[in-house]
Amino acid sequence: MSGGDPIFGRALRQTTVLLVAALVPALLAAALHPRRPAWSRAQAGAPEVTWAEASAWPGPVLWVDARAPAAYARRHIPGALPLDEAHWEEQLPGFLRAWRPGVRVVVYCDDRACDASQSAARRLRQELGIDQVFVLTGGWSAWLDAQSH
Amino acid sequence: MARRPISLAAGAARVGVAAVFLAAGGLKARDPAAFAAAIDHYRLLPYPAAAALALYLPWLEIVCGAAVLWSRWRLGALNLLLALCAVFSGALASAWGRHLDIACGCFGAGPAGRAALLFGLGRSVGLGLVCAALLAFELRPAPPPA
Repeated sequence: MSGGDPIFGRALRQTTVLLVAALVPALLAAALHPRRPAWSRAQAGAPEVTWAEASAWPGPVLWVDARAPAAYARRHIPGALPLDEAHWEEQLPGFLRAWRPGVRVVVYCDDRACDASQSAARRLRQELGIDQVFVLTGGWSAWLDAQSH
Repeated sequence: MARRPISLAAGAARVGVAAVFLAAGGLKARDPAAFAAAIDHYRLLPYPAAAALALYLPWLEIVCGAAVLWSRWRLGALNLLLALCAVFSGALASAWGRHLDIACGCFGAGPAGRAALLFGLGRSVGLGLVCAALLAFELRPAPPPA
């Protein structure tokens, strides 16, 4: 390094050491962290279901609307309960009163561009241990499309 | 004499930058699974890459946040923090431009929506500018001998 810029060499050396230093706890977290992520989306997220598939299911389905309260108040899937992350604590008791073991839960938000349904579904699976939680493919927009056809 | 107020401002800025990155990294390191989902919602990377980043990025923020307070490692830490701010800003701008209705994920769980993304983008750009100024301060020429 004697012929190179000493500042550049120092910056490069420090950057490399810091990058490696962060790798050690990251690898430990990958092996030991109780909330370490799964390595595939299929394992990590709630499975998706289309409106056609969900409406053909035998038995009751509990619909959960993860959109903002104003959107829910304007219109929602008949029978759907509101449950969005910003109002989780106040809305969760209503969900728990309606849910019964064995009942499938389908969560939806606005459309394919939103993440609220996956976030709510993940919390229902992880915090309440409900396995039968799904996300409606295309969300509210897909339901509206299905109603218009 | 004019250098002293600048040095004091730089010291305060370093503490502020360190606090922000230590907090952001610490909050995300507590729940890597949730952070992986937040990265995945940006739809920029395959899921395994999002999971790997969710395990690594919080610790990189923590290590660099601490290192920026230590003169021996400051140059490398500021380089990395500036690069992180550039990457975060690019991801946030991309999500905003694609009209994604997602949460920033910058400090763990948070509000979703375009306003939240825009706020996160402003914060990321601001932090990047502070890191760039601190880097310039670090690389300033030494004062001439008296």
